[in-house]
Amino acid sequence: MTSPGNIPTRPFGKHSGVRVSALGFGGHHLGDAADEETAIRLVRRAVEAGVTFFDNCWEYHRGKSEIWMGKGLKGRRSDVFLMTKACSHGREGALALRMLEESLRRLQTDHLDLWQIHGVSFDNDPELFMRKGGAAEALLAAKKSGKARFIGFTGHKNPKVHLAMLETGFPFDSVQMPLNAFDASYRSFADAVLPELNRQGIAVLGMKPINGHGDAVKDGILTAEESLRYAMSLPVTTTITGIESFSVLEQNLRVAQGFIPMEPDRMQALRDRLKPQAGDGRYELYKVSLKFDNPEARWAHGFPIDSQQGEVKEMLRETDNSGHPFPGR
Amino acid sequence: MRDVIRKRRLKPKPVAWTAGGDSPRRSRSESVARRPMGKGGLSVSILGLGGYHLGSAKDDREAGAIVSRALEAGINFFDNAWEYHRGQSEERLGRALRGRREDVILMTKVCTHGRDKKTALRMLEQSLRRLRTDHLDVWQVHEVIYDNDPDLIFSKNGVAEALLAAKKAGKVRFVGFTGHKDPDLHLRMLSQGFPFDTVQMPLNCFDATFRSFEQNVLPRANQLGLAVFGMKSLGGSGEMVREGAITAEEGLRYAMSLPVATTISGMESLDVLEQNLAIVANFKALSPSEMESLRARCKPIAADGRVELFKSTVKYDGDLGRKQHHYPSSKELPV
Repeated sequence: MTSPGNIPTRPFGKHSGVRVSALGFGGHHLGDAADEETAIRLVRRAVEAGVTFFDNCWEYHRGKSEIWMGKGLKGRRSDVFLMTKACSHGREGALALRMLEESLRRLQTDHLDLWQIHGVSFDNDPELFMRKGGAAEALLAAKKSGKARFIGFTGHKNPKVHLAMLETGFPFDSVQMPLNAFDASYRSFADAVLPELNRQGIAVLGMKPINGHGDAVKDGILTAEESLRYAMSLPVTTTITGIESFSVLEQNLRVAQGFIPMEPDRMQALRDRLKPQAGDGRYELYKVSLKFDNPEARWAHGFPIDSQQGEVKEMLRETDNSGHPFPGR
Repeated sequence: MRDVIRKRRLKPKPVAWTAGGDSPRRSRSESVARRPMGKGGLSVSILGLGGYHLGSAKDDREAGAIVSRALEAGINFFDNAWEYHRGQSEERLGRALRGRREDVILMTKVCTHGRDKKTALRMLEQSLRRLRTDHLDVWQVHEVIYDNDPDLIFSKNGVAEALLAAKKAGKVRFVGFTGHKDPDLHLRMLSQGFPFDTVQMPLNCFDATFRSFEQNVLPRANQLGLAVFGMKSLGGSGEMVREGAITAEEGLRYAMSLPVATTISGMESLDVLEQNLAIVANFKALSPSEMESLRARCKPIAADGRVELFKSTVKYDGDLGRKQHHYPSSKELPV
């Protein structure tokens, strides 16, 4: 077997001295790994294979994802670009800073390379983010104190909300959003947000390259390889994909090592082929349904939470934040 | 085209006094106020009876009593849809309106959800049969809520052609569409140059600060001279009242103070109907400053859509439409 090529690295937006791997390791799925030992081995194998971008979030599996990633990265912290997210969801900045301390402890590090605001998806989130005492102040404070090198935000819901965040004029270093071959025909981040980020030199972190849960692959509409290759061929810094097992990791590495971008006309052909199924959002339910908004966000915004959902059960068992939605009632 | 439509007058009939009713009734002289229904020459009660909730009434008897009492109080607008309670809403209304068909403005909706003209016309025949009539006053495309719905509706052999054909055949007098999701979708529907007579949309005191139909669609519909039917004045199932944010009276009065033809409200029991009638009997439009202060009061919990779940979640999206669009069912994906 010929040795696989390297995973390409790309500049982190306008901070061109910082480069990260074009494939990013998604932290949510790490918490779905069979056990802690598997998770640790997955992280180590990814680092060896040249993955340097590691994604996580304070609320993923109520800390399990961060704890397992922290253990997997032990001794390799300086070789990677580590990101996690705060889950204030419109609540006060002080809460976000408490979450930061907790994340640092779980990840066994004294600083993050990137700290983002998680799950910006409600129409009034930009307003709540920027308000006095809001999370915007927490991001700046964390950067100033050196606990976070770069700051950004993420959301999977609505390009208009992303644009409203950009219009606040806040100095974001990065923005994360869903980018895949279905997005092009439905409430498209690639059309509405991506060019603006490229123009401003903000690092673009693509996510959901295989539509979050891979339903389109299961339905035989396209292959996982096609899906990932398409997403990685867009003008992004990295493409974050969830990895919960060795078979998924190796499948992703096959695309990323020695990565060859898809030609523009093949990308167009794929968009055209998918359009009939993409046009109503059936494969992008994270843009449509509350189900994919984490319970922490739904709670903070006073939306109903589904007590049968695994994440809600996790949340109710060991909630360790203020638990109070903003504004208080 | 309109000259082939059967000419018919909506004349108020003397209302028979039902003796022995033990629910409190107000004076028989009460009557719900009326407004012109767009440009069509009809006069419509400012409160309309929602058809979905008629199917939720506890039994046929209660449903019949609701319709009789509504007629007696001067409500002449009756809403329905082919898919409500698998036809039961239409059947109940059809039975309850026997002998009174000529006194009312009868509307139902076609539920193709992207399917073709032929399916639409089959649904029309079925609706007419269930409603025990040979024509509708208003026939609307139901639940325009998916981003590609306008494309499907106006595609060759789509439901838009069925609306025209039904109108031409004299089976429907006026045509329109409805949807509870996205003002942009409504605007796309209105920009097709299609001769819609009516349009239905959510209108309430929370809407103004979240994906607003009032700000984005209502002025355009008024400008086009369409008859506007407001709905979801209390959130779809009273969410706004349950949150303690407003009273039912404030919600209904706000919605009825907008430039609409009628406000459709679901009333699944005589109690709810009486409550609404009491509000409507004394109806006085809110002043612009009263409306503004109500909007301002609602804003803190309006801006993220938590009380307008029909816009912000899939909770109110019907199963038939979900199926046509390959979405998970309401069991699999409740909100």
